[in-house]
Amino acid sequence: MSDEAFHAAAGEDCHLFGDNNCGFEEVAPTVSVFFPEPFMEFGLPLTAGITKYTLMLVISVLLVMGFWYLATRRAAVVPGRLQSVAEMLVTFIRDQVTRQQMGQAGDKYLPMMVTLFLFIFVMNAMGIIPGLQLPVTSHIAYPAALAIYVYVMWNAIGIKKHGVAGHFVGRVVPGGTPKWILPLLVPIEIAQNFIAKPVTHALRPFAAMLSGHLLLAVFAAGGFYMFNLGADGFLSVVSVGYSGLALVAFVVFTGFELFIMALQAYVFIMLASSYLGEALEGQH
Amino acid sequence: MDIEGNLNIIGYGLAAIGPGVGVGLIFGLGVQAIARQPEARGLLQGQMLIGFALTEVLALIGLVLAFIL
Repeated sequence: MSDEAFHAAAGEDCHLFGDNNCGFEEVAPTVSVFFPEPFMEFGLPLTAGITKYTLMLVISVLLVMGFWYLATRRAAVVPGRLQSVAEMLVTFIRDQVTRQQMGQAGDKYLPMMVTLFLFIFVMNAMGIIPGLQLPVTSHIAYPAALAIYVYVMWNAIGIKKHGVAGHFVGRVVPGGTPKWILPLLVPIEIAQNFIAKPVTHALRPFAAMLSGHLLLAVFAAGGFYMFNLGADGFLSVVSVGYSGLALVAFVVFTGFELFIMALQAYVFIMLASSYLGEALEGQH
Repeated sequence: MDIEGNLNIIGYGLAAIGPGVGVGLIFGLGVQAIARQPEARGLLQGQMLIGFALTEVLALIGLVLAFIL
């Protein structure tokens, strides 16, 4: 548990029932977890330099590339173990996501969605790998870049399929509405489609990962804080009991977090396909 | 009585009530719909998850605002 090791190295002797009357707020993790010290800085404005996030991003890219390389290296009609896992993933996303949202035309965007799913899932899962424990998507820059990519694709597909006017009119004028209500409806639709959708698309994995990681860090730090064998007599037994409870909660929530990570990646591609499906459809 | 801490957290707690009710309604009614018509399961699950995502983001926006305001 690297969070504990981190606090052991950083904090002094700060425990429950300790002599120095130390409170939990002195060791509790804060949002500073999400602003690691850069390894290398270039002094450019609005950049953070090369931080732990960059390192983890490289690791996740290599993991995803390695998985697909190993899974498709000897592609056969009768699949091997790894190849059947990859095939299950692709068919699952085809049947549950792209065909549901975009119909047969969605098969063209299946590779994009599969890549996005696995990439986001691995970036999220970096949060529970021992020793690393920082989800890459808990920094807004990474989901924002992916959401901008989907946003650009969405506009490009709509413009290519229906022309500039067709795409933008189709997005801001809902079909079958009376004319007199349009001045009221069009600004709302513009704000909804061109601002709220991409922003919330990026915000969703970011906020879910930020809150989940903070929760895990609080439980790990709490387990460490309450573990005090040096307390006098019976109190040390009590402290070990408390710390055990916190660590059990840590393990339970780690499992729950894994589920949330997969769900967030799934929801991301689900919404991406639903946006692309809208753009393919034109006027709605 | 002295109360210390940040008012933003209370605001976030209040902001999470609505999405909590919403997510509960979506999955409750979704399960009910699947129970009534089990063959429509695939379609309903997709719609449920989209509704869930749109509701959940309200709570997440609240969380982000609690940190940045």
